[in-house]
Amino acid sequence: MSADVSDLSLVRRVQRGDKGAFDALVLKYQHKLVKLVMRYVRNPAEAEDIAQEAFIKAYRALPQFRGDSAFYTWLYRIAINTAKNAVVSRDRSPIEYDLDRHHSDESYDLQGRMKDSETPEGLVLTDEIRTTVNAAIDALPEDLRTAIVLRELEGLSYEEIAAAMDCPVGTVRSRIFRAREAIDRRLREVFEGGLGRAEELG
Amino acid sequence: MPRKLRASGRLCSLALAVAVSGGALADEVARAPAQWLERMNQALNTRNYDGTFSHWHGGQVEMLRIIHRVQDGTVSERLASLDGSGREFIRTGASLACYLPDKRTVLVEQRPAQESLVGFPTVNDQTANFYDVREVGRTRLNRRDTHIITVSPKDEYRYGYRLWIDDTTAMPLKTQLCDPHGRVIEQIVFANLTLPARIPDSAFRPEVSTDGFQWLRNGALPPGPQAASLAWNAMRLPPGFRMTVRSAQVLPGSATPVDHLVFTDGFASVSVFVEVQQGQAQPSAVAQSAAVGSSSAYSTVIDGHKITAVGEVPPATVQFIATQVKAQDPAAGAAAPRR
Amino acid sequence: MNEELDSQLSAMFDDELPTAECELLARRLSRDEQLKARWGRYAVVGAVIRAERGVRLNAPLAGRISAVLLAEPSLESIPTAALRRPGMRWWQPLAASGLAAGVAAVSVLWLRTQAPVSAPVTAQLAPASGLHVGALLPARAAGSAQGDSYVVPPTPQIVPVVVPSTELANYVVAHSMFSSPVARRNLLSAFMTSEPAAAPPEEAQSDAKKAAR
Repeated sequence: MSADVSDLSLVRRVQRGDKGAFDALVLKYQHKLVKLVMRYVRNPAEAEDIAQEAFIKAYRALPQFRGDSAFYTWLYRIAINTAKNAVVSRDRSPIEYDLDRHHSDESYDLQGRMKDSETPEGLVLTDEIRTTVNAAIDALPEDLRTAIVLRELEGLSYEEIAAAMDCPVGTVRSRIFRAREAIDRRLREVFEGGLGRAEELG
Repeated sequence: MPRKLRASGRLCSLALAVAVSGGALADEVARAPAQWLERMNQALNTRNYDGTFSHWHGGQVEMLRIIHRVQDGTVSERLASLDGSGREFIRTGASLACYLPDKRTVLVEQRPAQESLVGFPTVNDQTANFYDVREVGRTRLNRRDTHIITVSPKDEYRYGYRLWIDDTTAMPLKTQLCDPHGRVIEQIVFANLTLPARIPDSAFRPEVSTDGFQWLRNGALPPGPQAASLAWNAMRLPPGFRMTVRSAQVLPGSATPVDHLVFTDGFASVSVFVEVQQGQAQPSAVAQSAAVGSSSAYSTVIDGHKITAVGEVPPATVQFIATQVKAQDPAAGAAAPRR
Repeated sequence: MNEELDSQLSAMFDDELPTAECELLARRLSRDEQLKARWGRYAVVGAVIRAERGVRLNAPLAGRISAVLLAEPSLESIPTAALRRPGMRWWQPLAASGLAAGVAAVSVLWLRTQAPVSAPVTAQLAPASGLHVGALLPARAAGSAQGDSYVVPPTPQIVPVVVPSTELANYVVAHSMFSSPVARRNLLSAFMTSEPAAAPPEEAQSDAKKAAR
């Protein structure tokens, strides 16, 4: 289990007045949080609004964060509550889930796996980012690719990856770093190329 | 005589039949809502089911999953929070375990092998004195045909319910708990529900890993007569409540045995736990009140004993019952002497 | 870019950097926009690998939040509640003068961590003197009362203090076995999802911290 040291050093800085440290926490967790919120609202723009609200709430509640749980666990709960309350206040209350299938064997299922509710605007660039990253990963030497996939997809610690790949922990750290370097070289172009292409205005 | 009322057309013709044939059919019609409650309880107690539901209370909603199986007379049940806390309640036969990952603790309570069924609230003729049970309509809920049954309390000592009971399975697809003024204070709605013929044992294992957790189990009762030597009871009770169970046990994490009394009015139930007060009770702060969702708890110290009442009733009711509990000493005709 | 620094950044992103270096790097990260941008791109890579479909990978979310925070008060003047108030009670009174009966109390459930009892209990039930097996005092027979002889208790003067919550958790579970199935599900659902209202007392806090690590 992660010791959460990284998040806690950032959290402590925020608690001492350093707002820039909070940016780093947002950057790290924004996708996960939006993904989580999209369990409750399917529109990505609305999900982003709710995620934003959740982050702000977390910032304001940070003085009460004691470190008893991991920061992300705490943030996660705030996000769920924010999402649910947003849905409840938007619809009639309390929540009712619509079921859209009726089986004769007395069973019925929750509506919809979460579809890729892509809206045309804003996701072309997302596709480009995704393609770039995937291509870069495919181009990696196998040991680098394995290391970063085990880390990001399986969530294994360096020690676990070292055991899986039968190499020292230091090598794992180096491989993951080099994988990121290689991917980042290509990704930077998308983000920085041509007047901040990747960052939408407003 | 039809056991179920199926369509409003039929209801009309039955109503006519009532007018013509008199008493017996009228009783049948009047009993039907209570029968739905019995069928519902039967379904909840005896069928296998697996579902996800939302639990709404105090403006907050949580999702939970429930899996219930009856196999060879043994009940297995698992209730898991799907929203972050990771808490789970798993019952296998007589053993109840609460997994509390956010507290890194597991509470394990071993119930007596032969748990008396007398303790469960059962809807009967007496219940009608304190609750008004009616079917107020039929509706399609999530494409299922349901009966809407309301259970309205006749006084402020108890809560009311509105239940949407599935016509085919008698499962409560939607449940509202209402205060005596009819305001909804808690709601459960199933998002999905299946009634499988078989559920594997693996469905009743906790999702959380318990490495490093502390385990609190209930201990053995001390030898010799215990519950028998203490006759605790409530001197007065809210109307309709009667004692149905008395037992003694040592609860997990505790060192002292506790008497457990159960009072029920046929629909709601209240447990009273009596134990010897440990240490000095703060003189200024003996009465304590708490809530778990819509259920109420009240704790007080009387004659050196800590008395806690817990039940799905309004706060005033648990407080009333708790403060009425005394030890009986018929020989002396007085309450237990002060320690 | 300084390769050593970027290597540290990568390790910190994975929470694999020792504390001391984390502290230093955190300070640098908060101020260095380029370092922050790189950190942000690491997060994007992770999102792509996890195929988090439907999520915008170029959303201006972080920028918007940063802008909102500019207007927020900085937190340094706000004391971190629990750490600064050692004598704090488990939960706050709901009203200045105490709980009124009938007010739905905030769900409270917090475990006091304590050593598990494994030895057999040998304590005697007390007091034993003066108490005998007795006939139950008959409760008022169901249906006989009009209800008018029972007086609803007046609003109590309760001092809302500590609920000895290991016991409450136990009581809830023990009671749940005697509720009707519907009530039981309500009760246990609430129990599964209840949150503590305020900080636990000191000894539980340090135990919890120890246990969490």
